[in-house]
Amino acid sequence: MLETTSAVTPTRFEQGLRYADFVAQAAVNRDKFEQFYNDSALTADDISFFKRAAALPNGPAKILALAEAWCGDVYRELPTVARIAEATGADLRIFLRDQNPDIMDEFLSNNGKSRAIPVFVFYTKDLRYITRFTERSAGAHAELAAIMDEVRSQLHLPPTATFATVSESERQTFLREVIKRITPRFPDWRKESIKEMRALLSSALAIPNQG
Amino acid sequence: MPAQRPIVYTIRGCDACVKLLKKWQSEGISYEERRVELSQATMDEARKYGDMVPIVVWPDGRVEQGFEGTLGCFI
Repeated sequence: MLETTSAVTPTRFEQGLRYADFVAQAAVNRDKFEQFYNDSALTADDISFFKRAAALPNGPAKILALAEAWCGDVYRELPTVARIAEATGADLRIFLRDQNPDIMDEFLSNNGKSRAIPVFVFYTKDLRYITRFTERSAGAHAELAAIMDEVRSQLHLPPTATFATVSESERQTFLREVIKRITPRFPDWRKESIKEMRALLSSALAIPNQG
Repeated sequence: MPAQRPIVYTIRGCDACVKLLKKWQSEGISYEERRVELSQATMDEARKYGDMVPIVVWPDGRVEQGFEGTLGCFI
């Protein structure tokens, strides 16, 4: 990302929604945001780490989130970041993905092909980019890939089978089985996300990954 | 009285949903779209059928999720 050409100027950043306003404007899933906010996945050690990082002169003081309330990954992860912002005093500003395509375009994933959300971008107080987290952790992606392998094996599909290459009836069974296996993993994936955000900040700020 | 055309639960920001609707429109398929991002009641209704949009409920009761090779969006 070229900071000099970023759409995220100080003025624009200030236009983002605060967490309470984001939840208030949401047409759906307010109950989910409340549930995951109340059921925080952050440990005391996590909070200590994020506070320590935020206390650095070049630490994260502003967090930009790209989100939409209908998205499952958003209502599972955004409340965690709201908690981090509260604990550290960081200014969290949320931008609706589909109303802010210029910002979304700066943070695409999958080699520029996917508009995956949530995206959490950590900035210094003067809006210098530090690092970002997108959608779900690398550990969760790896586990998803392993689950897909398991399901292929169970359904006697070729190891190279994808949702695009199997018949419609096989695809539906394939998908249902994958969803059935990954849903119970979501609580751990929330913890993996925190772990990854810690690792990203630890690396970007050159500080130990400890609370 | 069962529906005589498919009902499709969508989110307009979901790429798989957009691709499905585009395909059906090009094939002249008649459908009833229910946008889950617009109301909690529709979101709750969709969740009875699945976890990932697009969700298609065919007139014969079959339920399909996702679209071809594109994973949809978890709701």
